[in-house]
Amino acid sequence: MLMKYEFLKILRKKSTIIVMALSLLLTAFLFGLPILQYQTYNQDGVIKGSEGIAYTKDQYQDISVPITDEYVEKTITEYQKLFENPNNVGYDGSEKFLIGDAYWNFVAPREKQLSMIASAYDSPGENSGFNKLPDLDLANGAKFYQARNEKVKSLLNTPARELSSQQKDYWNNMSSKVETPLQYGYHEGWEIIMSSFELLMFALLAVCIVIAPVFSGEYQAGTDAVILSGKYGKTKLVTAKIISSMLFGVLAFTLHVIVAFALPLAAFGADGWNLPLQVSGLTIPYPFTFLQATLLNLGVIYLVLLAMICLTLLLSAKMKSPYLVLVVLVPVLFIPLFLSPNGTTGAYNLTLFLLPYRCLMPEIGKYVSYQVGGLVLDALSMRAILYAIMTAVMLPLAGLGFKKHQVA
Amino acid sequence: MKHRPPYFYFIDKNNYAHSCKGKMSQHDRTRRVEQGRKPPLPDCLCKIYQEDYYMQLQLKNLCKQYGTKCAVNHVNASLSPGVYGLLGANGAGKTTLMRMICGVLKPSFGSIRLNGKSIEELGERYYSHLGYMPQDFGFYPDFTAREFMLYMAAVKGLDAKTAKQRTEHLLHMVNLQDVANKKVKSYSGGMKQRLGIAQAELNHPQVLILDEPTAGLDPKERVRFRNLISDFAKEKIVILSTHIVSDVSYIADYILMMKSGQFLLGEPMETVTDHIKGKVWEILIDNREVGEYSRDFSVVNLHHENNMARLRIVSDTAPTIDAVTVEPSLEDLFLYHFGEGAQEEGKCEAFLLMPSDDLAGGAKRRVPLPYERSNDYVDEI
Repeated sequence: MLMKYEFLKILRKKSTIIVMALSLLLTAFLFGLPILQYQTYNQDGVIKGSEGIAYTKDQYQDISVPITDEYVEKTITEYQKLFENPNNVGYDGSEKFLIGDAYWNFVAPREKQLSMIASAYDSPGENSGFNKLPDLDLANGAKFYQARNEKVKSLLNTPARELSSQQKDYWNNMSSKVETPLQYGYHEGWEIIMSSFELLMFALLAVCIVIAPVFSGEYQAGTDAVILSGKYGKTKLVTAKIISSMLFGVLAFTLHVIVAFALPLAAFGADGWNLPLQVSGLTIPYPFTFLQATLLNLGVIYLVLLAMICLTLLLSAKMKSPYLVLVVLVPVLFIPLFLSPNGTTGAYNLTLFLLPYRCLMPEIGKYVSYQVGGLVLDALSMRAILYAIMTAVMLPLAGLGFKKHQVA
Repeated sequence: MKHRPPYFYFIDKNNYAHSCKGKMSQHDRTRRVEQGRKPPLPDCLCKIYQEDYYMQLQLKNLCKQYGTKCAVNHVNASLSPGVYGLLGANGAGKTTLMRMICGVLKPSFGSIRLNGKSIEELGERYYSHLGYMPQDFGFYPDFTAREFMLYMAAVKGLDAKTAKQRTEHLLHMVNLQDVANKKVKSYSGGMKQRLGIAQAELNHPQVLILDEPTAGLDPKERVRFRNLISDFAKEKIVILSTHIVSDVSYIADYILMMKSGQFLLGEPMETVTDHIKGKVWEILIDNREVGEYSRDFSVVNLHHENNMARLRIVSDTAPTIDAVTVEPSLEDLFLYHFGEGAQEEGKCEAFLLMPSDDLAGGAKRRVPLPYERSNDYVDEI
């Protein structure tokens, strides 16, 4: 009964409806933007919107194959052959590239796939495009996966990363679990989702704004005295308030997630859910499919959400008005937006990767890891543990804050 | 708590306290007697239980300090059922005291006990017996009156069926049943006050605390409100704080006066003005002398009659030779203590108000508390 009324209290407020409506519209707009802006090219010019998406899907039909060493060798050989004909080669003063029919018939339909293949032969931090492909020695085969593994090792051994041997072993071990050959295919919708997670920040803020008055609103309205002097004012009511806030937060956030995911998946299709992450970034060490990685990151985001709800409730229990709660909360959520990492090690970067805004991003290809003694944790695990602990600590403190509140 | 005897004791006519070991509520016990069944206690005790049992709310050495300021300063009292008018000027400490009694403000020192048990120890069992209407307390503007009442019933631990019954009954009692489905934000001040007292009464509280319930109401609403409080006050400890003296004079059984965080006075209504008998004067003077008398004395009332002015003055000494003493009122008493030049009185640090043999509402007698006779109580705190 108490939960029902606490839930009603949240839902009945005009501010709740306004904040939720605005944040849903913003989320829909931000996740819908890639659909509106999507465009691809063919020899006839630019193809936009759904036509462009359909065209891209069609292009992928021929290249949705397992990326075996043989396939890679065949593809590179073909590229090299085309490159041998000077009529197919253009030069812009800095680099050579295929032009004309050679480009439109061979490169254009598989540009992303070629980029992925070529990236195996680049040094860490290098992005040479297709420049290395014409000169690649295929006498002993393409050795595509060997090249990938070596690149991963080089990445881990980069001095700037300052990784310990345990951390290197951790990543090598994880990377070795990636199943080969990689299955290639169309995955546009999932790529958009994976790269747009941080836009859920507005949904997180909206939830926090709505629940900021859960305790402090009682102080501000002067209803604290009458409810705290009720039989369950310091016991069941506190639990009801916390549970209803959590429930509202999770439901409201889920609504945003549904909107955020439904738009790109409806427009670009859910194809590619079972493809490995490596098709969008060859050196990604996580042995997951797009769907698995999305769900995993979403799980972490929900833990961040719960911790932020608890932080909001704790501040709400301690502060006299919901505005004061937001004065503290908004900087916590949004200052990291303006801070960029300058590496993947050091206290600054490691802390930055754990702040709420950064935690929304999967950062799956950055090899961010934390070592506690002999225990190595990747960023996702560390975030999950940290925010779960924060939730467990702040939840009782929020309740206690209200129970101990003095009506003065 | 459903009147479970372990939390109560009853006091017989000889002022002996008996603890009740049975597990029946008073209601159940009465029902058993009415049904001719044997009550679990000897008849003599059961009779005493039914007739003379009453609660005691004890305030022991209660203090609330804010920095160096003492809002409530070593207050001691033991309250049995009755309506207590808590009078005092603004800032006297009335609201702070009431908040402490309601458990929403922690005392700096001292304790509040219901029938000998600390309210902190009793926890939910105490709050289930408490009804509180704070001064200027807020509502949920987006709730209707009915929803607000049902919500408060849930907070007070009433089951759904009882909550509905009590809500309808009380909304009817405070004459809000026709607007029960309207949002509270559309209510007038008087309607909100009525809703406020209705919520306080939801759980049939044994201790009802009303902080300035008539503030801001027009005379008609105040009369209606006073009658409501009288209806609700039966067999309860009702503490009614106000600085509107006339409100308490109609409904209070006892008067408690607070000044600078301390009880200045605690007397039954019938005798409260006794100690200013002979100190209230009426004089007839020339209109031109009014200013002079107003400067020198506490003037309770001024009435112009042609070129003369009739003044009602509270003073230890006669203001004029031909001044006539009149029967003192509560207002005179208030002005005597809180008017300009009011005298500091000896502090009434501990008192116990007990129902006399005449339970029909006769005079009450003041009985010293056990701890009033010695300093032992200090160790208990």
